[in-house]
Amino acid sequence: MFYREAGQFYTSYAKDQGIFQLKQDKFGLWGILFIAFVVVPVGLYLMVQGGLMAASTKDYLYNSIFLLLLVNSMAALGLNILTGYCGQISLGTAAFMGVGAFTAYKFSTGLNYRIQKEDEAGELISQLVPMLPPIDNPILLVLIAGLVTAVVGVIFGLPSLRIKGFYLAVATLAAQFFLVWCFSRVEWLYDYVSSSTIQIPPLKLFGLVVTGSETVMRDGQEVTIYPAAETKYLICLSLVVFFAFVAKNMVRGRIGRAWMAIRDMDIAAQLIGIRPLATKLLAFAVSSFFCGMAGAMSLIFYLGALEGAEAFNINESFAVLFMVIIGGLGSITGSFLGAAFITLIPIFLVVSLPWLGGQFGIPVDAAMVEHIQFMIFGALIIIFLIMEPLGLARLWQIGKERLRQWPFPY
Amino acid sequence: MKHSERTFGDTLLRVDNITLRFGGVKAITDVSFDIHERQIFAIIGPNGAGKTSMLNVINGFYHPQEGTITYKGNQRHQMKPHEAAETGIARTFQNVALFRGMSTLDNVMTGRLLKMSGPAMRYYHRQFADMPVINYLTYPAMWFGDFLLDSLYWGPYQREELAHRKAAEEVIDFLEIQSIRRTPVGRLPYGLQKRVELGRALAMEPDLLLLDEPMAGMNLEEKEDMCRFVIDVNDEFGTTIALIEHDMGVVMDISDHVVVLNYGRKIAEGTPAEVQADQDVIDAYLGVAHEEDLIEK
Repeated sequence: MFYREAGQFYTSYAKDQGIFQLKQDKFGLWGILFIAFVVVPVGLYLMVQGGLMAASTKDYLYNSIFLLLLVNSMAALGLNILTGYCGQISLGTAAFMGVGAFTAYKFSTGLNYRIQKEDEAGELISQLVPMLPPIDNPILLVLIAGLVTAVVGVIFGLPSLRIKGFYLAVATLAAQFFLVWCFSRVEWLYDYVSSSTIQIPPLKLFGLVVTGSETVMRDGQEVTIYPAAETKYLICLSLVVFFAFVAKNMVRGRIGRAWMAIRDMDIAAQLIGIRPLATKLLAFAVSSFFCGMAGAMSLIFYLGALEGAEAFNINESFAVLFMVIIGGLGSITGSFLGAAFITLIPIFLVVSLPWLGGQFGIPVDAAMVEHIQFMIFGALIIIFLIMEPLGLARLWQIGKERLRQWPFPY
Repeated sequence: MKHSERTFGDTLLRVDNITLRFGGVKAITDVSFDIHERQIFAIIGPNGAGKTSMLNVINGFYHPQEGTITYKGNQRHQMKPHEAAETGIARTFQNVALFRGMSTLDNVMTGRLLKMSGPAMRYYHRQFADMPVINYLTYPAMWFGDFLLDSLYWGPYQREELAHRKAAEEVIDFLEIQSIRRTPVGRLPYGLQKRVELGRALAMEPDLLLLDEPMAGMNLEEKEDMCRFVIDVNDEFGTTIALIEHDMGVVMDISDHVVVLNYGRKIAEGTPAEVQADQDVIDAYLGVAHEEDLIEK
């Protein structure tokens, strides 16, 4: 009744080429953005102030749910560009995220390298020497991480000219294993720390503390300022929203059409004048750019410190692939829906299972929750794939088509 | 217009003694013909005669072992399909090869990709392309500038996109497929898919249009529509058309010049009337009675 195109006419191609065909969709998106940017932070702040919610609950929401959701959305966007739009299957997503994280780390510490020299006593000492001044702007770090990962992605995308489908998946698996091996073996990457963990140094944006802590003198007393969860959340949200628009613009323009042409029928695409190698490599570059940014965001905003081989192992690659498949291949909305599904369902189960067990008098401990979580999660994925192979985005679309007719049957 | 009144331009494409082998199998043996500008040129022959292989050679999919192809006066050697597209050769396929996940409009717009060089790249071709050294230095910057404009869908890029949308709409109007503009092509019936595929090829504004069995599997009405489109394209845009077709009625009606292939060899060439009267062609299509069979009878 409310959701239909009646009365909406477009008199120019510019309007007809817009992202949304319906005004209602446009308002819906603005509404979602308003909720994410204003209602959530202000609402949570007021709830804590009003005593309705503990401050720790608020921080848990931001740090463990919202930030993870944003990082995963960014990674899913990246993989969806490569797999959903260009049709190249990749199992190296986590490795590319890792490249992003390590790039951000190296640039935030000034690309240290180690020199060994003898001191006056004749003993060999090693010293870290920065090559560049350290960068302390998180957004700049994220962008640099994206660019470096794009280059790495292009290198690992080169086999895609010759191999397709599952065989390409295996080739990207090689990237996954090789890069993760580098994360724990190439000492330069983690500044020669014996535990091979990296920790992001204190960063600031517009004078706001983003990571680490800062000690300032205030009224003659030393005060330590910790980063506000809202700051991290808003920076991440801005990045994800901006780059989601960039991705949407790419896929609706000539770049996206070239990708989809390669995906749907590569022989016909060549006949139209599309260069297969250049087009596929561009998809690898853009996809890796997004994944690299996701990795850097995960290090800077979400985890703070991580061990490369642990955080970016193959399970993470599969998780992102599931997000893309469940969300919907070849859909920007689907990337977000899939990321939300894969991120939120486990959290929901962790919270709800003990409560549910309590209702029936069955004690549910942490280990049991984990096992049940795997079972339910796996079952959900299978049910979804059988019922709607095109993913949540397709369900969303069907829902909208139904809504256009509602409440009339025709 | 009657066939006798039609006039043609110079030779657009000359095929000279082409031989194509797959291992020991000869797909095409020593075939030569000329296609003139503004001609409707038909290649016919029984199944397996090497017609589609011939189109694939012209297209750059197959590289013949012997012989040369001269296109627009330039003899060419090993050519990739996308390079053939850049020189103005478009093509449709025997089995519809549309981009199934995309809408009709997007399919036609994809046909315009070669024309959409991007504003910065156009500036490059105007200003820097002929300068030594500088062209290498400015090319990546210009390419990246276009890429950024694309990704923001902004300003000059949006204007270019809209100009090409207009051109695509003209093709859509021409083929009368306005109503299926937003429909994903995978959902369309076969006849319409063929038409969209023709639209995608037309959007390239080709000089030479290769049609591989454009009317296969169509009913009479769809065939007549398609014939009308082929003739109209030739008439209105002056596009040279080379087509493969099994329906002899269609071939004899619309084509100016016919080449007959059998077992990879050219057995006849000429106007439809000449070919129809040729004894070799009749034998190839109807079969030849062997002497023993005759004696038995």
